[in-house]
Amino acid sequence: MAENPTTLVQGTLDMLILKTLALEPMHGYGIALRIEQISRGVFQVNAGSLFPAFRRLERDGLLESEWRATENNRRAKYYRLTEAGRKKLKSETREWGRQAAAIARILETSS
Amino acid sequence: MSLNALRSPIKLLRHVAGGLRGLFRKERDDRELDEELRGYLDAAANVKMRAGVPHDEAVRAARMEMGSLESVKEEVRAVGWETGVAAIWQDLRFGVRTVAKSPGFAAVAIITLALGIGANTAIFSVVNAVLLRPLPYPEAARIVQVWHVPPPKSFPGMTRFAVSPANYLDWRSQNHVFEGIEIYGFGAFNFTNGDRPEVVQAARVAADFFSVLRVQPMMGRIFAPEEDQSGHSDVVILAHAFWQSRFGANRDIIGQTVALNGNKYTVVGVMPPSFQFPAPPDAQWNPQIFAPLGWTDKDRAVRGNHNYLVVARLRSGVELRQAQAEMNAISSRLEQQYPEDDKGWGAVLVPLREQLVGDVRPALLVLLGAVAFVLLIACANVANLLLARTLARRKEIAIRTALGAGRGRVLQQVLSETLLLSLAGGALGLLLARFGIDLIVHFLAARLPRSSEIGLDALVLTFTLVISVFSGLVAGLVPALRLTRTDVNQALKEGLGRTSADSGGQRTRSVLVVTEVALSLVLLIGAGLMIRSLWMLRRVDPGFDPHNVLTMFIPLPQTKYVKPVQQLEFFDQLLQRVRALPGVESAGATDALPLMGGSTQPVTIEGQPIVPMSEQPEVAVRRITPGYLRTMRVPLQRGRDFNEGDTLDRPAVVLISKSMAEQFWPKEDPIGKHLTLTFFRDTRREVVGIVGDVKQDGLEVDRPIETVYGPVAKNPGPWMSLVVRTAGKPASLVSAVTGAVREVDREQPVVDVATMEEILGNSFSQRRFTMLLLAAFAGLALLLAAIGIYGVLSYAVRRRVQEIGIRVALGAQQADVLRLVVGQGLRLTLAGLAIGVVIALGLTRLLTGMLFSVKPTDPLTFVAVAALLCSIALLACYLPARRATRVDPVVALRYE
Repeated sequence: MAENPTTLVQGTLDMLILKTLALEPMHGYGIALRIEQISRGVFQVNAGSLFPAFRRLERDGLLESEWRATENNRRAKYYRLTEAGRKKLKSETREWGRQAAAIARILETSS
Repeated sequence: MSLNALRSPIKLLRHVAGGLRGLFRKERDDRELDEELRGYLDAAANVKMRAGVPHDEAVRAARMEMGSLESVKEEVRAVGWETGVAAIWQDLRFGVRTVAKSPGFAAVAIITLALGIGANTAIFSVVNAVLLRPLPYPEAARIVQVWHVPPPKSFPGMTRFAVSPANYLDWRSQNHVFEGIEIYGFGAFNFTNGDRPEVVQAARVAADFFSVLRVQPMMGRIFAPEEDQSGHSDVVILAHAFWQSRFGANRDIIGQTVALNGNKYTVVGVMPPSFQFPAPPDAQWNPQIFAPLGWTDKDRAVRGNHNYLVVARLRSGVELRQAQAEMNAISSRLEQQYPEDDKGWGAVLVPLREQLVGDVRPALLVLLGAVAFVLLIACANVANLLLARTLARRKEIAIRTALGAGRGRVLQQVLSETLLLSLAGGALGLLLARFGIDLIVHFLAARLPRSSEIGLDALVLTFTLVISVFSGLVAGLVPALRLTRTDVNQALKEGLGRTSADSGGQRTRSVLVVTEVALSLVLLIGAGLMIRSLWMLRRVDPGFDPHNVLTMFIPLPQTKYVKPVQQLEFFDQLLQRVRALPGVESAGATDALPLMGGSTQPVTIEGQPIVPMSEQPEVAVRRITPGYLRTMRVPLQRGRDFNEGDTLDRPAVVLISKSMAEQFWPKEDPIGKHLTLTFFRDTRREVVGIVGDVKQDGLEVDRPIETVYGPVAKNPGPWMSLVVRTAGKPASLVSAVTGAVREVDREQPVVDVATMEEILGNSFSQRRFTMLLLAAFAGLALLLAAIGIYGVLSYAVRRRVQEIGIRVALGAQQADVLRLVVGQGLRLTLAGLAIGVVIALGLTRLLTGMLFSVKPTDPLTFVAVAALLCSIALLACYLPARRATRVDPVVALRYE
């Protein structure tokens, strides 16, 4: 790893979880791993923030969960996006894009 | 609960539901979370093993990455709101256990808080009923009482005066600001219930009187406009209580006739129990029968004689100020139109609520402030107790902190314990308040407007809950904050910390005690000023001797005693019989007893310039029988008293009071001079004697009341107050004297039987009760402050046992030790006194209106109260100091 793993900006973890689950239902460690892999190790997610986020998103009705057998035949809790979660992801993505573009513009013009 | 949850109601619902599920499925949720986290760990380890890490190391690394399993769980649990509830529940259970473990401490804390909360609840329930709750009329805020303002030259110091019929009728026809303006006046009926005659208070009211208040009868109807006219007014409406007690709540009463004053009246209505009659608060007027005015044209034309009250309802949208302006305009028109009667007479609007409760508001607010002080002192005391326990718990708290409890969590735990205490205190306080309220109502019912409405209602209960929680927080916050500041390492190292250099909150405790002393000094000074006032008031010479005098009021029905001669005859016969009774020294009668007020009239002195009536000075006019002045022991200073020869057919004579003589004949001898009472213009009256001044309108009225006494025989009247001087206890002669009344007329009732001492006592009963309450609260405050001082010093002595031991070992004498401890207490007390005096100087101004010939900064009171507080404080210091002198140096040094 070239640089130290970055702590996530408050709130972005929720978005990353939603994005990860947009493809298929996954269990907790799978999600953590996927985020780490896709971000090429820039973001390391620890359990202490991941699991509270699951609980929060579930309470908000953005995730659903069920117990299922894993690939190596053990029981694990799988999380899945709800319809509300899908909508939320869409709007968050759009908003993120807008903000990122704006920040990029500011950084370019001032340098 | 996350903020998101609050954004939409559906989400909120989901959170509530999820939380509730969480509460009830806590164990299952925990199991699942545990399983999920273990799965996570396994998966993490698996991934590492697949990368070639040996099993044990992979598991260890996964654990390291994850951190404490328990703290992850704790964070997940913290997402839902239910965890907070569960924690509070846990804390409460823990609190109950801790409190139960030290029942002595709990009892002291709960009782202390209960006293404070109880006193507050009781006083607040009075304030609530009397000052806060709207009057029991629809849109009561728009109801005003309309008074005359008399010309200040004739009536110095008076701002509200009764109204004359003719002026009222002009107000009514000329104003545009009132929806309705109605007049009513005092009345009384002789009513025979079985064979027991009684006098019933009544009111003569205009036909629309009830409409202007917007009250409806419970049964029947209100009066019709034509019933205002004389000749059509033989109808009555009954008050609920009267209907119940005298007619057995008979529902068929409507349309029946009742005999009043020997005439037949038809009952047309009964008022509901909630109806409250708008009587001025000091009038002692609670009418049970309402009758129409029944005015003749002659009655309507009376302009110069003021005997009625007026109540009005402002049109909606009309401001009090606007209405007042219009009444001013009307009044000045009337002044010009009828200068003889109305010159100098204005009008003033007083909101009815102000009218009813304006007099007691300052006293109630002072009492409310006093109990607030008491509660603060109680809180300070409980905080002090808690601080002492803090020391014992520092270790416990330190361990909790070391194990990862956040500051907030520790605060919550300590506060939940004090809240438990304060809520228990609140419950007990409510019980105390119930008795307190009964006591207040019992003693003050007659003097306190709206006293029947006092009780514990929803608002009072809410108030009690709020102050309970408040006092729990206040009492708990100080120790809780100190506790959470504890340095973990220090606390754990020190063990019980007895030898620590840390003050153990000693400074905090000292501040609390100084506050207590200061607050109780303020209360004591307030009470002291009230006591001084009462004492000054008792020393006022009423101008008569109130001991051993029995009085009663005898109203003759004018229908039976039509002619003045008959009335005179009745009282003559009565007095003869009463004077003949054994145990009676002398007897007489007057139309108005001293202290109770009475009629005044404009007067003209012969030989002095003649001015219009409205500019003539007003003097009190009393009609008395021979023997009255002697019975009351009003000294005859010069001239002669009335005698049996001063009758109708003899020239009119008067006695005048000393102040009257000085005012009107400053350089001459008044005896033999003549004066005219304006309401009896044709009669010249010769002054035959000068008597001492009597407090006619109450003890507190400083200005001497110039009084003219005339013999009853010259102007007999249908009612008189009998005064009887007795050899022994006046109360023992009540049945003999009322028996004498019945011997003269079997049907004649008597009312208001009272000794003159009782009447004197009543005239300061409200002041006395306010004083008693204030003194009780101040006493309570003093007691609590003394306990506070005692607590701080005992604690300090316990902490300094070692030091004292060393001092004694080094040769310190008992006196030195005493001085050491008492000195510490005294320093706290003096600091409290200094602060208290400053606060008191600022606050006692609020008492000014309630004091009598005492300045709010009366130095004597300040010094006496400070001395009292100091001596109590010394006593509180002495007990722990004595304990300190008994310290055995050997034991003390071996300590620990």
